[in-house]
Amino acid sequence: MNAVLRGQLLSIGRALAFVALALALCGGIFTLAGYSATSMFVNIAAGAVLAPHAFVHTLRWTMPLFLMALGVLLTFRFGYFNIGAQGQFYLGGIAAAFIADAWRAGPPLLAIPLTLLAGIAGGALWAFVPGLLRIRSGTDEVITTLMGNFIAALALVYVTSGPLKDPSGSGQVAAGRPVAAALRIATSSGVSFTLIAIVAVVGVLVWLLVDRTAFGILGSLAGRNPVMVRWQGAPSERIAMTAFLVSGGLAGLAGALELLGPSGRLVSGSAPTLGFGAVLIALVCGLSVPGAAIVAVFFGGLAAASLYLPVIAGLPAAAIDIINAAITLFITARAWPRMPRRAQRRRTLESAPQRERVAS
Amino acid sequence: MTAVACDDVSVAYGEVLALRNVSVAFERGRIHAVVGQNGAGKTTFARVCAGIVRPTTGRLAIDGREIRVGDVGAARLSGVELVHQSFALPPSFTVAEAMEFGSTRRTGPVYSRRALERRWRDHLASLDVAARPGDRIRDLPVETQQGVEIARALCSDARVLILDEPTAVLAPPAIERLFARIRRLRAAGVTVLVILHKIHEVLAVAETITVLRAGELVATLLPAAAMNAGDLAHAIVGSANVGATIDVPAPHAARDDKLPALELLGAATRATPDGPPLADVDLTVGHGEIVGIAGVEGNGQRTLVNAIAGLCALSAGRLNCGGRDLTRTSLLERRGHGLRIIPFERNVEGLSLSSALWQNWSARLLVAGRQLRLVDPQRLRGLCRSALERWSVRFASVDQPAGALSGGNAQKTIFAREIDDDAMLIVAAQPTRGLDIAATAFVWAALRAARERGCGVLVISSDLDELFDISDRVVVMLSGRIVGEFCAPYDLGAIGAAMTGASSAALTLATP
Amino acid sequence: MIEALVGILGAATPLIYVTLAGVLAQRSGIPHLGLEGLMIAGACAAVVASKQSSSVAFGLAVAIGVCVLGSLLLWFVIEKLRANPIIAGLGLTGLGLGGSDLAIQSIYGSEGAVRAPFALPHLGAWAGEFAGLSVLVLALPFVVGLLWLALRRTRFGLRLAASGEHPFAARSVGADPAQMRLIALALGGVLCALGGAELALGSLDVFSIGMTAGRGFMAFAAVTFGAANPLGASAAATFFALAEYLGIKAQLVLGSAAPPELLLSLPYLATIGGVWLSTRLRGGINRGSTISELREY
Repeated sequence: MNAVLRGQLLSIGRALAFVALALALCGGIFTLAGYSATSMFVNIAAGAVLAPHAFVHTLRWTMPLFLMALGVLLTFRFGYFNIGAQGQFYLGGIAAAFIADAWRAGPPLLAIPLTLLAGIAGGALWAFVPGLLRIRSGTDEVITTLMGNFIAALALVYVTSGPLKDPSGSGQVAAGRPVAAALRIATSSGVSFTLIAIVAVVGVLVWLLVDRTAFGILGSLAGRNPVMVRWQGAPSERIAMTAFLVSGGLAGLAGALELLGPSGRLVSGSAPTLGFGAVLIALVCGLSVPGAAIVAVFFGGLAAASLYLPVIAGLPAAAIDIINAAITLFITARAWPRMPRRAQRRRTLESAPQRERVAS
Repeated sequence: MTAVACDDVSVAYGEVLALRNVSVAFERGRIHAVVGQNGAGKTTFARVCAGIVRPTTGRLAIDGREIRVGDVGAARLSGVELVHQSFALPPSFTVAEAMEFGSTRRTGPVYSRRALERRWRDHLASLDVAARPGDRIRDLPVETQQGVEIARALCSDARVLILDEPTAVLAPPAIERLFARIRRLRAAGVTVLVILHKIHEVLAVAETITVLRAGELVATLLPAAAMNAGDLAHAIVGSANVGATIDVPAPHAARDDKLPALELLGAATRATPDGPPLADVDLTVGHGEIVGIAGVEGNGQRTLVNAIAGLCALSAGRLNCGGRDLTRTSLLERRGHGLRIIPFERNVEGLSLSSALWQNWSARLLVAGRQLRLVDPQRLRGLCRSALERWSVRFASVDQPAGALSGGNAQKTIFAREIDDDAMLIVAAQPTRGLDIAATAFVWAALRAARERGCGVLVISSDLDELFDISDRVVVMLSGRIVGEFCAPYDLGAIGAAMTGASSAALTLATP
Repeated sequence: MIEALVGILGAATPLIYVTLAGVLAQRSGIPHLGLEGLMIAGACAAVVASKQSSSVAFGLAVAIGVCVLGSLLLWFVIEKLRANPIIAGLGLTGLGLGGSDLAIQSIYGSEGAVRAPFALPHLGAWAGEFAGLSVLVLALPFVVGLLWLALRRTRFGLRLAASGEHPFAARSVGADPAQMRLIALALGGVLCALGGAELALGSLDVFSIGMTAGRGFMAFAAVTFGAANPLGASAAATFFALAEYLGIKAQLVLGSAAPPELLLSLPYLATIGGVWLSTRLRGGINRGSTISELREY
């Protein structure tokens, strides 16, 4: 057990070190672009926690990020690069908006669950197609899920400027009709008991699914070595498909909660970096469900800051994108750069037989 | 005059010392054998000589001139070439491309395909390699690939050729041809270092014998003419205790032994990337019987195991286990009826090296039953721990990754997972490949113990000595067909002939 | 007809340059998902530098410098820090997208588009109907041909392919796969810069934030579609450009009869279809390592 604990601590330490390295790189970029790195980081901290109500905003973004990260984490664990959480989030929102719009006068106790289910179904559908293509014919899911993101963004534009267009809306951004007030489960602050309860229950369920069922443990094994699991006779295709569907469903649920919660309506091009953030959370937490809850707060803070920066501090929100990107660049690193001299000799010599095993 | 000289070479992989203070000087123009058990450091030694592995300490001299260690380029310039055990040829390349990409010959910057193929056609012909320059590597049979690899090694005037376990992939007649080729090379003035582990092969080809044991030299440049098999065996193995005993996990419930554990009737499959399709395979494995499948690799053995596992559908014929027709069932159902598999690739098909031991061990339990049921990892850890202890696996913790185990312990872990009270038919594919003598003995004992308990056992191996040792019957496969069946005492000549299809008499030699 | 050809050439050229960068990387063993980021970085640097210096040549040089630097960063992270290439590539893409955004805001204080005072040199009157195309369009066949020759008909090409397909084989003949990947990525950086510059300065003379709109990812898909062969991948990229061109054309013809979003999504749909088709024809993907190998046990 001790070795495991040490291994975990080591990996957490390494993740933190690379996040620090990424932040240093960002500081360099900010300075190069003519901003003061210190004031940038201070303002980011203000936007995330220090400013009044900042933490509420952080929590508001933590919840969708957490849900989507759970989905990403599931497919990553099972060995698939589903990076289409953004598209699945949009599709979930769209499907939920149609139901919420059709049932605007329905009894909330029935209409709200139905809307959420529609969101789950929409997201799952958007993950079903890449999943099917991957499992049936081996089509690279990296490409299909990425393309799915672009198509979903266009679909959102279409829906908000077409079927669900808000006639009273004006301005540059197309937006859908507002959801009936009775169906809202949170105010625009985005934090309410219902919302937190739903997210917490889903988090526990996913944790059980991933860490405490035969499905989750076999799926994780398959993610590391699908061939071995096939030789055990596991229904690999069904496990993989389920992973894709659950993953898309979680992102879709986030989309539906966004609609019924803080947003209250569909907005085209809204929160365009949530999907990327979800991938990042999954990687930073080392694909652990409890870890994702903690890491999601950090990236929720960054998301809150990306709204704070341009509005309050007059700094570009792109700074947050850069921080996210730099962390992505480094987070999967497995080694420190080679040290010169003796250490270098050692590494070449160790790497030779390892790579050979991969090659042969 | 020395061709290759190592001075005080040591190689450490992490904590493990693969070679320890090896000093040896090989004379030019002879055939030198380097022998030892698996894990003795033979391959590492060959790679040090070829500049592919950089030793932790020590020096290397070629033709009396010291060269930089761990520098392939320098070694190749001095005329040292290595033929790898699993050949280092990109499978998508054509033969001519595979020759060209490693060549150091000076040519123009750009070649045309025709010029390239012309350039290497003569070279291949001069070495008697039966491949056309336009053939793709992946389409060639193993023996030809080896020929191409040797031709590649010799394309730039190699003066020292190192062959790493060249016989492991060849049938007996092909081994004879390889040895003839090695002798021709020696006659042409090439120094040959050949890594081997079978004693009769060493005595057949080598002029000097150097023995490695656990990374150390125990005998250097013994004249082969003066050696006998017994002394050599003693030098290789040392005084290691090879005896192994296995506790049979539990007394086996009496089975209905009237119907065989496995019955393949007229089985056929479609062609697969792994090898030729099965055609009209009739095979029976009774309870309490070990049946060996002999054959040159790539003659349908993998397809056979896939078909028995249900991972490759039968296009004709039937498969019965214990009298039940399982032709159309999934592997999961077949496992439910007592099928257990020790797969070919221990580290790919058998274990997930980066996953924890307990997960690897529990996989069989997890697959059976409903997928969404809750399981208790702590309980599985406990079950795994006691199972591994019963099979005397040496491990630190059930949470350690399977990749941290040695080959023998990894194989024992697979046995611990696969062999349980409900096992009825055990298919063991290359169960001892890459294992040292003690682990091999353990595996054999385990298979014999399974036989005593009434299981049917099917062993697929390319090592005839192994099959002769443990099988009650040996069946020979060639091109997806069964071409002969033999009972003890085994006739090596007849089996070898059947394996290569050299003699149609093989079928008549078969004893029913 | 000729007008259509001009339109398709204009849309295809930036995509093909970037695709070639992906081909180089793929053959050396790196699935290059940083193309999108390098492309937009190239476009941004070309516009900003030529605007600031009033010289297109200088702009191009800066773009090449930026993209090669980005490629070296990616190489360092993948090769020396052993990061997962797919995730690291996505990180580089994010860095390119965010960095170009930040640069435009810090220099021009605006969030919109930046107009360049110059375009790349155009073919001019002698080219007749093709006069409006830039010299990079003219150079394209030579670049494709040269790369094909280098990859398929030289020892360098064989060693590069071996580094991707069988690194151990490459190493055992003395070719260092890490070094081959460095060369491939650095050359790819140059190509991405050209692709980005052509996108911004070829016909529009403008840089706008996010203007690559997934073209880098499409280029990555074209590499898969074209089996990492320079000719095949270029053909695949042309096919995607054709879909883009048809979408734009259809918008003009159909007007509001068809939702513009559907037409705009044509290239993305074509990409999915193309990759699906290529895996049907050539068998599925074979990825060496999976993401969960990144996890401690």
